[in-house]
Amino acid sequence: MSELQQYLPALIRGAEVTLVLAVLSVALAVCVGMAGAMAKLSGSRPLVSLATAYTTLIRGVPEFVMMLLVFYGGQIILNRISSALGFHAPDVDAFVTAVFTIGFIFGAYYTETFRGAILGVPRGQMEAARAYGFSGWLAFRRILFPQMVRLALPAAVNNWLVLLKTTAIASLIGLHDVMFIADQAGRTTQAPMTFYLAACVVYLLVTSGSTACLARARVQLNRGVREGRLHG
Amino acid sequence: MKRGMKKYLLLAAFALGAINAHAKEWKDIRIGYEGAYPPFSSIQPDGTPVGFDIDMIHALCAQMHANCTLVQVNWDGLIPALQAEKIDAIVASVAITAERKQKVSFTEKYYNAPRRLVVPKNSPIKDATPAELKGKRVGVQRGTLADKYANAYWVPAGVQLVRYPTQDEVFLDLRSGRIDAALQDATMAYAAFLSKPDGANYKFVGAPLLGTTPEQKTLLGEGYGIPVRKSDDDLRQQLNQAIEAIRANGTYQSIEKKYFDFDIY
Repeated sequence: MSELQQYLPALIRGAEVTLVLAVLSVALAVCVGMAGAMAKLSGSRPLVSLATAYTTLIRGVPEFVMMLLVFYGGQIILNRISSALGFHAPDVDAFVTAVFTIGFIFGAYYTETFRGAILGVPRGQMEAARAYGFSGWLAFRRILFPQMVRLALPAAVNNWLVLLKTTAIASLIGLHDVMFIADQAGRTTQAPMTFYLAACVVYLLVTSGSTACLARARVQLNRGVREGRLHG
Repeated sequence: MKRGMKKYLLLAAFALGAINAHAKEWKDIRIGYEGAYPPFSSIQPDGTPVGFDIDMIHALCAQMHANCTLVQVNWDGLIPALQAEKIDAIVASVAITAERKQKVSFTEKYYNAPRRLVVPKNSPIKDATPAELKGKRVGVQRGTLADKYANAYWVPAGVQLVRYPTQDEVFLDLRSGRIDAALQDATMAYAAFLSKPDGANYKFVGAPLLGTTPEQKTLLGEGYGIPVRKSDDDLRQQLNQAIEAIRANGTYQSIEKKYFDFDIY
């Protein structure tokens, strides 16, 4: 147990890295997902095929493989390009790689989540908005978005929980997140279970904390609506 | 024939001269280490790396008057990071093997953990030879070099080999008396057993097994070297000279003494 105490500050630093990484990645993923959903529903053929290619490719490749490809493969490509142009390649940073890789992977899942949510809003709502003279942007902001968010929330929360745990793969490219610190400390002290359990507790705290926060958000968003129930 | 040879030698000398003239002297070197393999490499709670490998890095860099940056990389990422030019050399107890030599080039060994036999202090076994061990039960971890060596040279002489999935089990059965001796990597035996309370009544016996015939030497490997990119032969030579220099001036031996009470070169 004294080993755990010794490494506690390091574990806390690791937990901070994990949390910042997850928050930045989810922000990127939501933006990419929104753009992807819009593209898929735009009706423009090139946009639809681009978005479909993106979600098919990304959802079909393991996150682990993608991370290594970007970090090492990306660096090798960058080195080739810059040595051909005659300057020294910048070092691909592990944190930036992790944010972009996780953000783009989960962007694909959010694309599908948001697409489903948009389709769940009755068409008549948008038609009525346009009939009242709302511009496209205003109709989106006032009519479509508030209803869509309510429908997207359960799946979006689910995606967030999976994303949070996926950040652990960033430890593979040497990012000092909570998983990395736990692994190193476990090997160094030869008490791996102690540290793996400590990492579990960190992930569990963050996931249960965010589930609680998002449950409150859901109550807010569902004001004035009654959720459908099955008759028993 | 002789004249022909001379011509080639002369050519080779010129070629070497040409290489040396163009060889760049490395001043800034990024060195990858692992940090999860005590006592060679581990990370303290405050984040500083320690261990035999780490001390080697500092000694070699001081010898080369080079400005070294230590980069922690996971074991599986070390060679990819070298190839992606994120690091220039790896000091992480990487065994020199034919397979790895296809991807990277190695310096000469900087240590060579030999296999050594461990027995109880009151054991009648006085040496690590097939004759002395005939009819005795010797434990090894399955699939290790110790297993391969004992299987090839001791089993035919009548030694009973007992194989275990992990090294911990070998030591547990040695303590319970189910086996008479245990054969394994000497550095590991020392760090994980002999220097701990559990191993207080046990000792090494016989000389370290480094192999006497070429086949034995191939089987036991060439030790642990420093991988660099194949294109960086100048760095490889610079490191080789530094290894030789710290062996000659005693720096190596004083580092070795911090971790082991026997020679691991």
